[in-house]
Amino acid sequence: MNTPALSVKNLSVWFETESGRIPVVDRVGFSINAGDATGLVGESGCGKTMTAMAILGLLPSTGVSVRADAIEINGRDIYNLNARQRRAVLGRDIAMIFQQPATALDPVFTMGQQIGAVYKRHFGGSQQHVRQTMLDALRSVGFNHAEDIAAAYPHQLSGGMRQLAMIAMATVCKPAVIIADEPTTALDSSSRALILQKLQHLQTRHQTAILYISHDLAVVRQSCHDVMVMYCGRIMETTDCQSLFSHARHPYSAGLLSCIPRISATRPPPISSIPGQVPAPTDLPAGCHFAPRCTRAETRCRQAVPELDDQNGRGAACFRPL
Amino acid sequence: MMRDTWQRLRSDPYGMGGLIVVTIFAVVAVCVWTGLLGQGWSEVSGNRYEGVSATHLFGTNLLGQDILNRTLFGTATAFEVGLMVTVCSTLLGTLLGGLAGWYSHGWLDEIILWAKGVLDSIPFYLFAAAVAFALQGNPWAMHLAMIITFWTTTARIIRGEVIRIKEREFIEAARAIGLPGLKTVFRHVLPNTVHILLVQGTIVFVAAINTEVILSFLGLGIQDGVSWGLMLAESSQEVLAGHFGNFIAAGASLFLLLMGFNLLADALQDALDMRRLPG
Repeated sequence: MNTPALSVKNLSVWFETESGRIPVVDRVGFSINAGDATGLVGESGCGKTMTAMAILGLLPSTGVSVRADAIEINGRDIYNLNARQRRAVLGRDIAMIFQQPATALDPVFTMGQQIGAVYKRHFGGSQQHVRQTMLDALRSVGFNHAEDIAAAYPHQLSGGMRQLAMIAMATVCKPAVIIADEPTTALDSSSRALILQKLQHLQTRHQTAILYISHDLAVVRQSCHDVMVMYCGRIMETTDCQSLFSHARHPYSAGLLSCIPRISATRPPPISSIPGQVPAPTDLPAGCHFAPRCTRAETRCRQAVPELDDQNGRGAACFRPL
Repeated sequence: MMRDTWQRLRSDPYGMGGLIVVTIFAVVAVCVWTGLLGQGWSEVSGNRYEGVSATHLFGTNLLGQDILNRTLFGTATAFEVGLMVTVCSTLLGTLLGGLAGWYSHGWLDEIILWAKGVLDSIPFYLFAAAVAFALQGNPWAMHLAMIITFWTTTARIIRGEVIRIKEREFIEAARAIGLPGLKTVFRHVLPNTVHILLVQGTIVFVAAINTEVILSFLGLGIQDGVSWGLMLAESSQEVLAGHFGNFIAAGASLFLLLMGFNLLADALQDALDMRRLPG
């Protein structure tokens, strides 16, 4: 078996507060092979972005503590790096695409300057070479007039174009792993399709491993082979996309799926929602965190924490899976 | 960005008027520095208190010196003080404000805020006098006093702006491509405060010229050379005796330049307002 492009083992994150530790990510582990895409889905505030930030090592050093057995890129550990070594890896081996391209780009520099700076920082080279690489990156995401885009300031581009430029920036160093944090949430549906298509294209061409973080199951279904469902900092179910949509095993996954509004010619069924509310991280219920909202919960669900089981590579953290 | 700003500035008649006035004064200052104008400011070229004539357009003063020449030379003095104080206090304020904002609520921030609080709490003219006495009449005492006290306002504004900017996503993005913290400050945070610095710079410039006049009037200012403040100090006796040459020349110049600068600062503030732009 070959080494996965990204491998995360037993990653946990806590907030340190005066009233004690608040867990936000709880023993998360997964791996993505080169050229594969995996989705991480869950409601807002379930710890998806925290997971991404912890992988990149971008969480603040005070008030938050991170523990992991290992975080590896192509077999090379990045969890135990010091600050300087980590900065050499960020952007070169692992890059991030942000949710809001409008705010993730510096308004006072042109796109060309910003994309070029990323490459120059990690590989250096002559001005000519940097500019050529920058223009190639812009062309590879589908800009025919790369020179015009390079000369433009972020506010002169539309939302979709900004996100494409953001992708060009993330891929200019050809990283092994890209973390896309809600890459299409701020975009309209046609831009969304375009962005996902470009990302898929890059994924196959450069054999990049992509972690899609999204609350949008449609995005995950379109782009990912594997998917993880997260709730209150824990992975509830990990499976391939096909199986999740045809037969979700965890009651929470099933609940999420039933929340997707459907377009149909006949009168659609009323939109359903999962009863109850996401518990506050300061006040997590004992046992399975989903138990209070679960229709299938029984006594042991409220007492013990179910671990991920393994059924032919599909796992669900549930005592009474569907 | 600069082009958009220039377009907006051009469509503002008051701002353009201010710019023209400031430019004319700046040209005069440059001419004085290069020796083309105002060189005879200390020569006695006529009788005392001559009226307006072809040789002495603004008349002469008590000693028979040409008031026009003295006014022109005073322009150069005003610009010299204004530029020096603006550049130094803006650099100092940006640096200290940037560091305080980036490390907000850390020990460095505490020290900078403490220093700022101490300096702000000293009455300025008392402070200027203290510096002048401490430096034994050094000609740079006035400049120094202004630089030491004027950076605090710039630092306060920049600190607030940096705290606002550092929470923005592109700073997170800069970290995500492996840019070290301090480099991020100079590469991405401070460049985003340039529009504020430009406006704040013009305000400091005005304040510096204004303060120079007051300090010179009090005898704490310009030590050698002549300035509008010294001319106004002279005129305080002369006006009672009916000689208005110094008073009108220096007062009108001061008014025109400060008015021009204020109009320009106001127009710049509108033209540079980044918040109008999307993103």
